[in-house]
Amino acid sequence: MLSSFFFLAAAEDGADAGKAIALALGIGLGSLGAGIGIGNIFGSMIQAVARQPELRGELTGIQWLGFALTEAVVFYGLIGGLLAYVLV
Amino acid sequence: MKRLAATLFALALVLPASAFAQDTATETDFDPAHEWEFKTWGPELKIGPIDMSINKAVAYLMLGTIVSIVVGLVFMRVRIGRGPTRRQAVGETIYEVAQVQVAEQGLPTKAIGRWFPYVATLMIFIWVINMLGFIPLPLSDERWEIGGIRVPTLAIFAATSTLSVTLALALMTFVFTHVEGIRENGARKYFKSWIPDVPKGMLPMIVPLEILGQFMRLVSLSVRLYANMLAGHMLILTFIGLIFLVTPWVFPISVVLGSVFYLFEVVIVVSIQAYIFAALSAIYIGSAIEPEH
Repeated sequence: MLSSFFFLAAAEDGADAGKAIALALGIGLGSLGAGIGIGNIFGSMIQAVARQPELRGELTGIQWLGFALTEAVVFYGLIGGLLAYVLV
Repeated sequence: MKRLAATLFALALVLPASAFAQDTATETDFDPAHEWEFKTWGPELKIGPIDMSINKAVAYLMLGTIVSIVVGLVFMRVRIGRGPTRRQAVGETIYEVAQVQVAEQGLPTKAIGRWFPYVATLMIFIWVINMLGFIPLPLSDERWEIGGIRVPTLAIFAATSTLSVTLALALMTFVFTHVEGIRENGARKYFKSWIPDVPKGMLPMIVPLEILGQFMRLVSLSVRLYANMLAGHMLILTFIGLIFLVTPWVFPISVVLGSVFYLFEVVIVVSIQAYIFAALSAIYIGSAIEPEH
C-alpha cells in the first residue's frame, strides 16, 4: 500500500491517480486471497504436528513448498498490476 | 579479527551517508524503478543482434558464479579427519538439504545419480545470487568521488530480479525435462503420457490445456523467483526512500518497517525461493522420467 502512496504522490493528473488506485486495489485483493491460503497452510501444519509430532521433519518440506507456491500468487498480481500501470 | 570486522562494518555504515549527500542535488524525484534501468559498462559488445555488453546484472551474475564456486571449494573440499570441523559440518548440512529435501522429494531413485548435481547446483547458485542481492555492494550505476577517484555507490540489487536471468534458468529445467522424458521413455510413450484418462469427447478440450500447462510451468517457475526478488527490492528501496521524506513522522515508521521487511527477506525468502526452484525442477524432471506417478 505504501508503494501506491508513492505513485500517488508522483501522479500529476487524474489518469495516473486512477491507475495507482487500481494497482493498489489489485494487489490488496490479491494478497487477501494469499493471506487466507498461507494461514490455512500453517494452521494445518500446527494441527498435523500436534497430532503426530514425529512427522514434523517430513512435513516441514511440504509446508514450505506450499507456502512459496501460495505466496507467489500475490506477486503474479503485482507483476500484472505493474505491467498494466506501465503499459496502459 | 573480530575488532577489524567491526571497524570495517562501522566504516561501511558511515560511507553511504556522504554518497546520499551528493546525490540529492542531481536526483530530484525518487523512484525505485530507476534501479532496473541498466547502463552499459565499458565497451559495447554486440554479436549480430545479441547484446553481449556488461551491465550491472551481468556483473552480479559473474560475482555470484565466483562466490558459488568458492562456496563449493571451501565447504565441500574438506580434509576429513577424526573430529569433524565446522567447515565439514556446514558442508554436510548443505549436502543433506540438497539430497533429502530437494533431490529425493522429486527424483526417482534411479535418476538421482544423474540429476542430483543439477538440482544441487541450482539451489546453491540461486541462494548465493539472492543473498548477494541483499548485501550492499559497490556495484551500481551511480558514481561518487572518494579521494579523487569516482567509485560506484553502495546499492542492493539481485540478478534474479531481472526476468531474463530467471527465464534462462527455467528454460534449462524445461529443456532438460522433455529431453530426459523422451530419452527415458521414448517419444511415443512420453507424449502419450500427457493425455489423461478421460472420455473421448473431452479430449479436444483437455489436451490443449495439458500442453498449455507444460508452458505455464515455464512461466510460473521463472516469474515466481523474479517477482519475489523484484517486489522485495522495490519495497526495501521504497522504505529507504521514505526515510528521506521531509515529513518527520514517516521516519521512525519506515525505519522499523524497512528493517523488519529486510530481515524477513534475508532470513526466509532468499532460502525458500532457492529451495523451491530446485525442488520444483527436481519434481518436473522426476515426473517426466516416471510419467505414471
